[in-house]
Amino acid sequence: MRLLWVLFKKELRAFFVSPVAYVVLALVMVLSGYSFRAALSILERGPSEGSIVQWMFQPNWFWLSYFFVFPLLTMRLFAEEKKMGTFETLFTTPVHTWQVVLSKYLAAVVVYSVLWLPSYLNFHFVDWITAGQIEIPPGSLQGSYLILLAMGLFNLSIGCFASALTSNQIIAAVISFTASLLHFLGGLFIMVLGRKVSETFVDIISYFASMEHIRTFTSGLIDTRPIVYYTSLALLFLALTHQVLEFRRWKP
Amino acid sequence: MIDVQDLTKQYAGRTAVDRLTFQVEPGQIVGFLGPNGAGKSTTMRILSGYMPPTSGRATVNGHDVFHESIEVRRSIGYMPEMAPLYTEMRVKEYLRFRGELKGLSGRALRHRVGEVMELCTVTDVRRRLIGHLSKGFRQRVALADALLHKPPLLILDEPTNGLDPVQIRQVRELLRSLKPAHTILLSTHILQEVEAVCDRVLMIHHGRILANDTPEKLTRQLRAASVVQIEMQAKGNDVLTKLEALPNVRKATEESEEDGWRMITLRVEAKQDVREPLMDLALKQNWKLRELHRQLPTLEDVFVELASSDRAK
Repeated sequence: MRLLWVLFKKELRAFFVSPVAYVVLALVMVLSGYSFRAALSILERGPSEGSIVQWMFQPNWFWLSYFFVFPLLTMRLFAEEKKMGTFETLFTTPVHTWQVVLSKYLAAVVVYSVLWLPSYLNFHFVDWITAGQIEIPPGSLQGSYLILLAMGLFNLSIGCFASALTSNQIIAAVISFTASLLHFLGGLFIMVLGRKVSETFVDIISYFASMEHIRTFTSGLIDTRPIVYYTSLALLFLALTHQVLEFRRWKP
Repeated sequence: MIDVQDLTKQYAGRTAVDRLTFQVEPGQIVGFLGPNGAGKSTTMRILSGYMPPTSGRATVNGHDVFHESIEVRRSIGYMPEMAPLYTEMRVKEYLRFRGELKGLSGRALRHRVGEVMELCTVTDVRRRLIGHLSKGFRQRVALADALLHKPPLLILDEPTNGLDPVQIRQVRELLRSLKPAHTILLSTHILQEVEAVCDRVLMIHHGRILANDTPEKLTRQLRAASVVQIEMQAKGNDVLTKLEALPNVRKATEESEEDGWRMITLRVEAKQDVREPLMDLALKQNWKLRELHRQLPTLEDVFVELASSDRAK
């Protein structure tokens, strides 16, 4: 446990010493700032059927840009150590592989969480400025950030897995981006194709479709099923990451 | 301290380590000597718990390298070839991090980090980014890292690689000072290093051990001929024939001539000393002798001979 903390501290520090975290932070702030402004302008035009929270998080283009964050945060985690050979110095100390995997993952999760702090503050700021006139449905803020966190847990674990597969950061980034995007778009297209495909198929896919989850959570409804879905998949990919590392090392 | 039995490591189509068997006693400095690709680094990686053998057993400090990997790693300070380090960290903070990984903490950690930085003369660069250090400094940081938790066994892969002669000497003195509290297994392809530092030599080639002995015994056992060099002045064309007529002289060759002084090399049968009969002959023939020097076989000769006879097998 102590070793996990030692490794975690070092990984977190490494994130904030490199320019990557700040570039990603800037990207996310631009993205969420722009979305927020767009949401505000929709409400300015007249009364609408969505709250500001829903208008911020529902446009598709917001989500498509969102997926750039994951490769940027995770591509270096395992691929760099493999390429530089520092796994050799790391794994000749009494650390367990799972401690290495978990420490890197948790550091990425913490950095990811920090990224969304400014946008969260935006909502509170607008609420304060309009003296409470702006409608924020109860639970929608918490719901939105909860689904953001859950999706983050899932996609970061995919990024870790992709990074562990190769020593080339670019390849890791591409694999991670493609996988995350495929998952999101897959759900989206099936829902859009709704008419052409059988009802039951659409029902099943709606469990996996991220956009459905987003719609639910941003309107203030907290459904534990997607939470379980994302966290269990995250655990799966972390376990796979662990296996990849172990397999490479212990090949007889 | 180390007990290796029939250790084998195979990669696809290639045997890197071939049924290696050897022991290392506590408190010794043992040198792995061999050309590049001989299997030195692979053996060291297996011993430090980084990768498993294909077959065979190895125990370090009583713990099996495969089944008790964590305990083995606790007793070891490992320094890989090419000293891979985290380039974005500073020296002191890297050493602090490594110390924490190895179980040190608090004041003991800070004190020990200062100590190893002194030992490896990297105190002056402690605030510099590792990425900005020269190879020599990085090598010494890696060495400091290996020493941090005072491990009973040090496994060093080419520890003086990339160092200048002054630094090399410092490192060798440092290694010698670590006896007998520490046991050291180091690998190198520089023969003077082995002669200067090691108690025993393990010569390895194509993954097999060619020799396992002290440097002195190995050179004494050499079956290769030794060489005697003389610089002389003599009249007459039959000097070479007369020299070859001496017992135990295989061949006499004139290397060069300058101002009447001739440099002649004699190849002599193994373990025979022709210097006395040579002096007698020179006195009798009234030759002027300016230099008489016997070149003892070096470890390099031993190695080349063993390696070529191994290839012939």
